[in-house]
Amino acid sequence: MSTINTVADVEFGVELATMTPDTSLDAVRPFAEAVGWGGGRFDDHEKAKKEGLPGALVPGIMAMGFLTSIIHRWAPVAKVTTIDTVFRAPLIADEICLVNAVVTDIDEDTGVVELDLTVKNERDETRVFGTASVSLPLSA
Amino acid sequence: MVDIEELKSKFLNTEFDTKDFILDAAKLQIVAKQCGEQLPMYCDTSHPDFQALPSYIASLAAGRHLPIDFPRLGGIPMDGGKAVTCHAPVKPNVKLTGKTHLHDIYDKQGRSGRMLFMVSRMEIYDEAGTHLASSDSRMVVREKPAQ
Repeated sequence: MSTINTVADVEFGVELATMTPDTSLDAVRPFAEAVGWGGGRFDDHEKAKKEGLPGALVPGIMAMGFLTSIIHRWAPVAKVTTIDTVFRAPLIADEICLVNAVVTDIDEDTGVVELDLTVKNERDETRVFGTASVSLPLSA
Repeated sequence: MVDIEELKSKFLNTEFDTKDFILDAAKLQIVAKQCGEQLPMYCDTSHPDFQALPSYIASLAAGRHLPIDFPRLGGIPMDGGKAVTCHAPVKPNVKLTGKTHLHDIYDKQGRSGRMLFMVSRMEIYDEAGTHLASSDSRMVVREKPAQ
């Protein structure tokens, strides 16, 4: 995939390289603690099941973080100005998830690019979806 | 059935919560690292433009999402999603203020009945009063069936 330096480098419909983030409990636990959400539902499968959950959860806002990361990997100069995520279903810790994004609109006059975002599990079930608006330089 | 327009007229756009924050750079760095972020402006605390990722900004809106006198509409509201709009970098070690209001109320008809959505918006300001970012929390509740 070519390097994105300006809005002129962006192709409509391009799919960003899929990211498979670390969803292990060892990754989720420090995230949850750092945002002040420590507790069984984010760091222990058994405790989460006692709360009626299918397992320890990956916080929805961590999935939002995966989505901004995939954008920054694609275009390090991009500034994510708006990201809107819908938490459709729980994302379970220790389960593989696939983070994807696709370019859906380009405004070459303003440098604003729109993307559709998804986080799916291995069974191709969408857990989180959303949109982002990013700002790119008009010229290098 | 809940009257959405009545709720809107009573509750929208009235500030109901204010919080002050000073963000810890180490926590911002942990969040960035665990999200797979690679850009130094989010991962390296010594970077001159070190700042919070949108996902950290979203976490600031945890807590009271509805006005204290907002009616109970059914079950416990679930977290339906988050949105963040960034106007300027949100940086650590400076005093920030988050002011929250109800931004929108709407409904959707589902197979199992009507779902009600409430969007609370926290606007984050620095000490100079510059609006740095907004963080929306979308809560969803299934309407209690009529008795």
